This record gives sequence, C-alpha cells and structure tokens, in this order.
Amino acid sequence: MIGQSIVLAEGDIPFPPSVEDFFLPSIVPWGEHSVWFTKFTALIWLAVGIAIVFFLLSYRKPQLVPTKRQWIAESIYGFVRNNIAVDMIGAQGVRFAPYFTTLFCFIFLNNLWQIVPFVQISPMSHIAFPAFLAIISYVLFIYVGIRHHGFAKFFKHSLMPPAPWFMQPLLIPIELFSTFVARPISLALRLFANLFAGHIILLVFTFGGFVLLNSDAIFLKPISVLSWAVSIALTFLEALVIVLQAYIFTVLSASYVQGALADGH
Amino acid sequence: MTGDQTPQPAGGSGPPPEAGEGWTALAYLIGGLAVWGCIGWLVDQWLDTGGLATGIGFLLGGAGGVYLVIRRLGTPS
Repeated sequence: MIGQSIVLAEGDIPFPPSVEDFFLPSIVPWGEHSVWFTKFTALIWLAVGIAIVFFLLSYRKPQLVPTKRQWIAESIYGFVRNNIAVDMIGAQGVRFAPYFTTLFCFIFLNNLWQIVPFVQISPMSHIAFPAFLAIISYVLFIYVGIRHHGFAKFFKHSLMPPAPWFMQPLLIPIELFSTFVARPISLALRLFANLFAGHIILLVFTFGGFVLLNSDAIFLKPISVLSWAVSIALTFLEALVIVLQAYIFTVLSASYVQGALADGH
Repeated sequence: MTGDQTPQPAGGSGPPPEAGEGWTALAYLIGGLAVWGCIGWLVDQWLDTGGLATGIGFLLGGAGGVYLVIRRLGTPS
C-alpha cells in the first residue's frame, strides 16, 4: 500500500529524493541551460559578501571597549587564532591564523545555508567546493613543509618513518598513500558527505510527510505530522553538524601544517 | 559558538596538538591494506597466482599499517 501511494504521488512530489535534486537549474533568465550561474553560485558569493561586510563593519572603528559586533568578530578570530592555530601549531601558528579564520568562516557560512529557511541547500553538498578547499590546504601544508625543511628533507621526513632500513620498502608506500593521497581526499569527502547526507535526510522527511499526507490509507495521514516534526528536529542536528564540520576541517588543516613544520622524532 | 569567553591568551581549551592523530591512525591502517592489497593484486594479475599474492599483500599491508601506527603515534616525542 505504501509503495502504491508513492507511485501515485510521484507526479507532483519528487520522492524519493535522488542525486538529481542537487543539480539545480540556472537562475539567470538568459542562460536557461547554462550551469554557470545557479543557486549555488549565488549562495557562495552571498556568503563571501556577508563575511566581508561583517568583518569590515566590525573593525571599521575599533574601540578599546568593544561594541557587541566587534566583540563577536574578535571572538571568532581569537577563537581560531588561540584555540586552533596556536594550540596546535605553537607560537608560529599565529602566521596561519588569518588563513584558518577565513577557512572556518567560509565553510561555516556556506554550510549554514543548509538550514536557512527557504534556502536549505548548502553549496558544500557539491564535491567541487570541498575538493577545492582541500586542495588549498594540501598545497599549503606541502609548501610550508618544503619552505621549512627544504625539498629533500621534507619528503624524507614525511615518507620515511623511524624504522629499520629493511622495513622501509613496506612502509614508504603506506606513508605516501596516507599523507599525500588520503589526506586531501578525506578532507574533501568528510565535508561533502556530511552536507550531502544532511540535505538528503531533510528531503526524505519533508517530502516524506507530503507523501504520507497524500496516501490513500487514512491512518497514514496523521503520521505526516510526525515526519515533519522529525525534519525540524533534524534541522537542529544539522546545526550541530554544520559547526562541527567547519571546525574539523580547520583543525585537521592546522594539524597537517603542524605535521609539516614538526622537527623529526 | 565561543560562548561568552573573551579572547584569551594562548593556551586555552583548544584541541591538543595531536588532535589529528585519530584520522592519521585510520589512514595508516586503511592505507596499508589498500596499497599492499592493490600491489598484491597487480602481482596476481602478472604472475597468475590465483589470489595468493593478494592475500600476502593484505597481510603485509595490515602489518605495516599497525607497525606505522606504533612507530609514528605510539611513543610521544
């Protein structure tokens, strides 16, 4: 009976959700089939604009006793600088604090679209955006390591574990994989998959409510209320995921930079 | 996000320097199996050993991954 009602509802409600729901049409009237300006493009630029305007306004006339907005901006920067950059990398981590703060704010604001009413999809649920952020962090930690140690010493340090020589042939391929292949991929996939799955889950429970409401069985209709309640509860769970993923991405980037700067065992 | 704490001097309640180690350990264990399993499979295709080389590869890779976790993460430097 449930299967039948889904078939009946298929005409108007896109249920069950699929990957197709993530490929949105162009929103400029002159490029209907173009993929270059979609909702995601607008959201990314909007998030960048909000971050720039917020920080510029907050620091326009800095006061010794901060205003509320200045205090928020200083807390965000101070949090990333002291509790991520300095705690993980040490005193020289201050150099990287601007990058980590930018990364954190960019990911956080773009993730936030996931739960903003009437937007409710994050650009980070497309692999391209997390992948590019991961590439930036990847290039950064390799560059920092080469700058700090020199080319040969950096790769010797990261590829040759402290082990007897006869173990090296076994271990070097594993080190190569885990440091230079798995790191960027896991950074990108972790962020992407969390946001992608979060959006799918919200779609399932929101559209699932409509499917239940439209079903033939009278005793299934009230359950739609439960479905919507769950989708609201999951929205709060997503709020947690959003902050957590922005934080994890930043912390792991900091941890890779720290590894690149570390002086051997 | 930061609650009501004021910007504080360095050394607050942030993640410890080894915060990424869990993921590193996971990458070593999976990486060991994947890399040497793959190499073993290639040897299998080459010498036609019927899965024997793949099995040896998985064993070597698993051992190598565990060994790396111990050497890199086991003793605090």
